[in-house]
Amino acid sequence: MSEERQVTTTRTRPPPWRDERVLRIAAQVIFLAAVAALLWALGNNLVRNMQAQGMRTDFGFLEQNAGFTLTGSEFSSRDSIGDALLVGLQNTITVSIWGILLATVIGVIVGIARLSTNWLVRKCAAAYVEALRNVPLIVFLMFLYLAVLQQLPRISDAIDFGGFVFSNRGLYTPWIEVAEDSGLFLAICAAAAVLAVVVGVVRTRRFDATGEPHHRVLWGGGIFLLIAGVAWALLGRPVSGTLPTLDGRNVSGGYELSVEYGALLLGLVLYMATFIAEIVRGSILAVPKGQSEASNALGLSGFQRYRYIVLPQALRIAVPPTGNEFINLAKNSALGLAIAFPELLRVTRLSISQGQPAPQLIGIMMLMYLAISLLLSLLMNMINRRLGLKGAQ
Amino acid sequence: MRITKLLAPSLVVPALFLAACTDDGGGDNGEPALPDDEMVEGADEDAPGNEDGDDAGSSGGTLAEVRDRGVLNCGINGAVPGFGFVTPEGEYEGFDVEFCRVVAAAVLGDADAVDYTELTAETRFAALQAREIDVLIRNTTWTSSRDGSESGSFTTTTFYDGQGMMVRADDGFESLDDMDGTAICTLSGTTTELNLESAFSARGLDYEPLTFEDNDTLREAFLAERCDGWTSDKSQLAAFRAEWPEEEGGSEALTVLDETMSKEPLGPVTLDGDDEWHDAVHWAVIATIQAWEFGIDSSNVEDFLDADPEEDPEIARFLGIDDFDPGLGLDPDFAVNILEQVGNYQEIYERTVGPDTALGLEPGLNNLWTEGGLLYPPPYR
Repeated sequence: MSEERQVTTTRTRPPPWRDERVLRIAAQVIFLAAVAALLWALGNNLVRNMQAQGMRTDFGFLEQNAGFTLTGSEFSSRDSIGDALLVGLQNTITVSIWGILLATVIGVIVGIARLSTNWLVRKCAAAYVEALRNVPLIVFLMFLYLAVLQQLPRISDAIDFGGFVFSNRGLYTPWIEVAEDSGLFLAICAAAAVLAVVVGVVRTRRFDATGEPHHRVLWGGGIFLLIAGVAWALLGRPVSGTLPTLDGRNVSGGYELSVEYGALLLGLVLYMATFIAEIVRGSILAVPKGQSEASNALGLSGFQRYRYIVLPQALRIAVPPTGNEFINLAKNSALGLAIAFPELLRVTRLSISQGQPAPQLIGIMMLMYLAISLLLSLLMNMINRRLGLKGAQ
Repeated sequence: MRITKLLAPSLVVPALFLAACTDDGGGDNGEPALPDDEMVEGADEDAPGNEDGDDAGSSGGTLAEVRDRGVLNCGINGAVPGFGFVTPEGEYEGFDVEFCRVVAAAVLGDADAVDYTELTAETRFAALQAREIDVLIRNTTWTSSRDGSESGSFTTTTFYDGQGMMVRADDGFESLDDMDGTAICTLSGTTTELNLESAFSARGLDYEPLTFEDNDTLREAFLAERCDGWTSDKSQLAAFRAEWPEEEGGSEALTVLDETMSKEPLGPVTLDGDDEWHDAVHWAVIATIQAWEFGIDSSNVEDFLDADPEEDPEIARFLGIDDFDPGLGLDPDFAVNILEQVGNYQEIYERTVGPDTALGLEPGLNNLWTEGGLLYPPPYR
């Protein structure tokens, strides 16, 4: 009885050393184990070498006082190295987000302009793209910083132009100043914003149902401004505007946009916009010509043709390569190092030069850049999936 | 599957980085690799100091390695006039470069047998730890953490410096106390940031620090009045002041404030754990000061060699006339090589940074102890 059963099992399943499924899994396990062993050996070797040289191998240094200050933030020398890295990360993220937004806007406009029927517009866009994308970014940044922005008026003869102060230290703009203890006002504003959105959605539904004009922006905006305005007046004007005032060498009030930040942002935007423009141009050209012809036949205007027919289809093609450019932009922000902007790499190097251990700091910095890139990549994948044709996946 | 795909590159990149680090570090500190051992043994024959030198364990054998190679790898600064820079003819010149030559003359008997490596402030210790260079002579301040966690081993100080502040003369800053709310330019990777912070916070002053990667960008920013002050070692500031363009008013347009924000003893550095090599470099440097104290320089060293050894036994020992060998691993006449090929401390100083050069630095603390300076060579016996 039992003998018979054994015979049948060996027939349906070969022994494990010949079973393809087992072998496949075993090969992967062995490979993983080998990689893990290699990593462990390398890490172990590094730690041993560092200990032999008397370098610290732990992460306790993150709690130590930094001893240096960073411009453009509240960071002081009593804060820790860990906080310094966070300030650097914050600066990198800020410049990346603004860079991505602005580069996208300029890139789309230039990309469309490259396909314009107007000769001058087409050639200007082409000249801009070709001139910039064929220059190394660091060269362009140095040019912007040293040859353009540093040539603005010196602080002693800065230009005060209707609330905007220009100098080669920075651009100072009017700004709003939120008084202390204005939490209630901010909460009311937030509530008003939510209410405005709700009203907008209601108006849209009504438009869908009855065809009555929705005026959703007017309704939503009006409600927000009304509530916020009343709250502002009743709560003793918690928010006020400040104008930058020039007093000798010091500018007080207003918002300061340092020239280093400006140079980095401008450089990244103008440079990366050329690559996005090329992607946009290619994507538009990839939309079948029949689509444009059909929209012309329907009597749509040029703007309508782009807005409703061509761009939605081009967007689907453009998203994956544009995501790569966004990641490039975030990584290229590390070049702010060369023009004294305290981004992540600058702060990391600053910490290393104060005697903090380089392997740990560089490891942390790499993980931070990795996190930014993966997050961007995740975001672009989500957008891509939303835009994809239903059923095409 | 998707996660592993995502993670795979993220694991490979750090692994490569670690591998690169450990490759460099591996040979240095573990048990000495075989070729190193052989070199040490081979060098024993012509390095007289070796038999009563250190135990084999603590000696990495840099001295033997340099002799075997026939060339000294010296890490210097390539961008500070007077200390380490490249002339229009492509030659390295300066105070630090001269001390590279001193070490080469002492160890190899040939002051020209030097390979120079230009290093930035941030890479200098990494280069030393990776043994790309044998000795670092790049206006490096002697500090406790560099001695400790950076694994450096400092020899005697060659230049006593201090951190100062350079401002434009027509801005009217007379002292640091006038500089509230100003923008200050500094170079990254130096101790100056810490000193600047201590000096300004001690005075309760506000300032905006701008940290640059290289001196050229910093100089342009200072020219464009992006910052009000430029802080660095006073010797470096003097060098940049001397080279200030005429159309900007020349050196008269700039002032270095009197205040000294820090002590900056600059000197050669070797890697920790090789005492024999450290001693060799150390005494090569001391020999230039000792020669000055004895009054021996490149022009009169011949006369001293011809003189009667009985006349001044100390000088005879120093010049190796009676074959006195203190066991430093250097040839008994190494001081003669230094003096004939490079010169004594005073000659080096006056040739590169002294009052008659473009830098015009008064000796100040960099004078013999008998003249009110800090140069005090230990006795040679």
